[in-house]
Amino acid sequence: MMDRLGNSGEGSRTLPIRFVGSGSEYFRIWIVNLLLTLLTVGLYYPFAKVRRLRYFHGCTEVDGHPLEFHGKPWAMLRGYALVAQLALVYGFAQRSSPLAAGIALLILMAIGPALWHSSLRFRLANTAWRGIRLRFAGTLGGAYAAVGPAYLLALGFMLLAWTAGTGATRGKEPPLLLSLTPLLIVLATPWLLWRAKRYQHVHYEYASERSSFSARVPQVYGVFLRTVLLSMALGAVVAVVVGLGAPGLFALGGLGELGKPKPGTVIVYSLLIVLAALLFQVLLRSYFTARLQDLVWGHTASRRLRFASRLRARSLAGVTARNWLLMVLTLGLFYPFAAVATARLRLQAVSIDADADIDDLVARRSGGPAEAAGDAAADVLGVDIGL
Amino acid sequence: VIHRIDALLFDGHSARARRVTLRIDGIELVAEGEHTWRWPLDQVRWPERTRHGQRVLVLDGGERLQCADVRAFDDWAAAQGRRDGLVVRLQRSWRATALALVATVAVLAAVYQWGVPLAARAVLAFVPASVDQAVGQRALDSLPEGWLMPSRVGAERQAKLRQAFADALARAHPPAQGTLPAWRLEFRAADKALGPNALALPGGTIIVTDAMMDLLADRPDALLGVLGHEWGHVRHRHGMQGLARATAVGAMASLVVGDFSSLLAAAPALLAQMSYSRDFEREADAEAVRLLRAAGQSPAAMVEFFKRLRGIAGSRRVPIALASHPDSEERLRYFEDAARP
Repeated sequence: MMDRLGNSGEGSRTLPIRFVGSGSEYFRIWIVNLLLTLLTVGLYYPFAKVRRLRYFHGCTEVDGHPLEFHGKPWAMLRGYALVAQLALVYGFAQRSSPLAAGIALLILMAIGPALWHSSLRFRLANTAWRGIRLRFAGTLGGAYAAVGPAYLLALGFMLLAWTAGTGATRGKEPPLLLSLTPLLIVLATPWLLWRAKRYQHVHYEYASERSSFSARVPQVYGVFLRTVLLSMALGAVVAVVVGLGAPGLFALGGLGELGKPKPGTVIVYSLLIVLAALLFQVLLRSYFTARLQDLVWGHTASRRLRFASRLRARSLAGVTARNWLLMVLTLGLFYPFAAVATARLRLQAVSIDADADIDDLVARRSGGPAEAAGDAAADVLGVDIGL
Repeated sequence: VIHRIDALLFDGHSARARRVTLRIDGIELVAEGEHTWRWPLDQVRWPERTRHGQRVLVLDGGERLQCADVRAFDDWAAAQGRRDGLVVRLQRSWRATALALVATVAVLAAVYQWGVPLAARAVLAFVPASVDQAVGQRALDSLPEGWLMPSRVGAERQAKLRQAFADALARAHPPAQGTLPAWRLEFRAADKALGPNALALPGGTIIVTDAMMDLLADRPDALLGVLGHEWGHVRHRHGMQGLARATAVGAMASLVVGDFSSLLAAAPALLAQMSYSRDFEREADAEAVRLLRAAGQSPAAMVEFFKRLRGIAGSRRVPIALASHPDSEERLRYFEDAARP
């Protein structure tokens, strides 16, 4: 039962998520704010970012009520300056020498979890729905614990690369356990991803609700396994098409002197191969993204709210392929339309089952101010909450 | 004129929505529903207007007033004398956004043309030469195994060219004009793919392939010109500038489309590297001319070099380094002009 205010009565019901933004409107927001960012040598960036987030939050309506974003650009500016410097130094170090790149990577690894943690805190604390702010309750220590095993493996790998480099000159083999790290990394990746997702998804809070995460490790392995199987199947198809297609194409294009294919035919053929490779990647990525989103959000629930996600890999692949094509054809101008299309598809695939009277939910307490540096890092490092 | 609009009030503590009617009373915003709420107007934060989505007024005390009827809200706000900020007005106008688009493209082009090179130079002033050497070493290490083998060129011939180069340098840059960056001349037998070639690595190492020494065996003046070109790369730290510029362009690209795809953001950096290298070649050619003149030779030596290079390349594309550079016609003309008295 629901009255016209969206205040529900007894029983459970589904809260739909709708994304009402439009590409053409976001295009205008994007281009104006991009220009201002360029004219101010990047100083305007946090303001542009706030406007973008406000638009995307405001256009995300859960049960008819928009999300709100409350980040303060001035508070974010300092964080951005810090992270921009870090990123530039890192980008330069990466290209200069292996030692500098190694040191930069170690520093980044050391502060990475802290930035991740503060990014989540910042994002959630500045997002509100029905007047109540969300909260991220994860601790700093928890962030380090979540990535701990991944770091151990990464360090093992670096050590291996190093001993292989120095050992090769002396003809020595690295120790067996160390040689196994690449294999271990491959085998452990789904588990490591699960740890990261679990850290995020057991710490979301809204009012008195605290999320829990019930996806099991084998399910994440299942997603990876099915993606690998799909890639093998697609690979086989591509191989057959390329194998059969090549002689046909050359026959059509004609052969030049001495039986060599004409240059034009070769160019067309290589273009087709590049396209096939891109399409291959789009299909695989879309499949993986969709299955992971469904798994992760479908197993996120609190006492009275349950998330569900039904994202079709085929739709995501279609939208992604179209985005790519138009992005390239318009030299990037399609970007805002692409961002809106992807957001709409991924957000509208999610719904929330609410058990009880949502009106009973009462904010616990207001969280302290969250540090904006983490949010800047999320931009640069590409970590986000996955929606 | 609209005086009242309907809205939902959220008090910031509970998720309950309360239906209210809003009006402005003097310096107060008044919400009337099951109770009456009053806030001073200076505690009200107004939303920016967008075509899609709802309007949410935020009070300093944490309350929200949410209005789904966007048109009514805008009329009501306008009736209160609310005006959009400049940015919002730009965003709402197609004409302004079209102008912004043109301006953005112009700014990006200007930054690419002048800003990035300037910034790269400024940053490099703070980078010590030891970094250049590390970068050069890394570039050398990254070459496939077997690409560079010990040279078959006799030690005597090597020493002679080295001496001629050092003499020309000393004459082109008198010591009074300050110290020159360090350089080292090396000879290598290279893989066929490199062909007659010369490379300048960051840090000052210049590598000349045996094929190059063979190609110009009878023209030591042209060899000097080739060395002069590579020296130009060393002197202007082109390798490092290329790195710094690629980093800057990459950062710019990720600012524009970064969160769509890092792959797509990397493409401009790659293209930039190719087009900036054209500027570098021009600078390096100028250095070659300068060195040849200082040594009392004619820049025509380089014309001969280009002709020979084209001769061995035939109709297929010319090999890397010196000649991978586009516009070899233009460069040929440059040396021809320089050779005229």
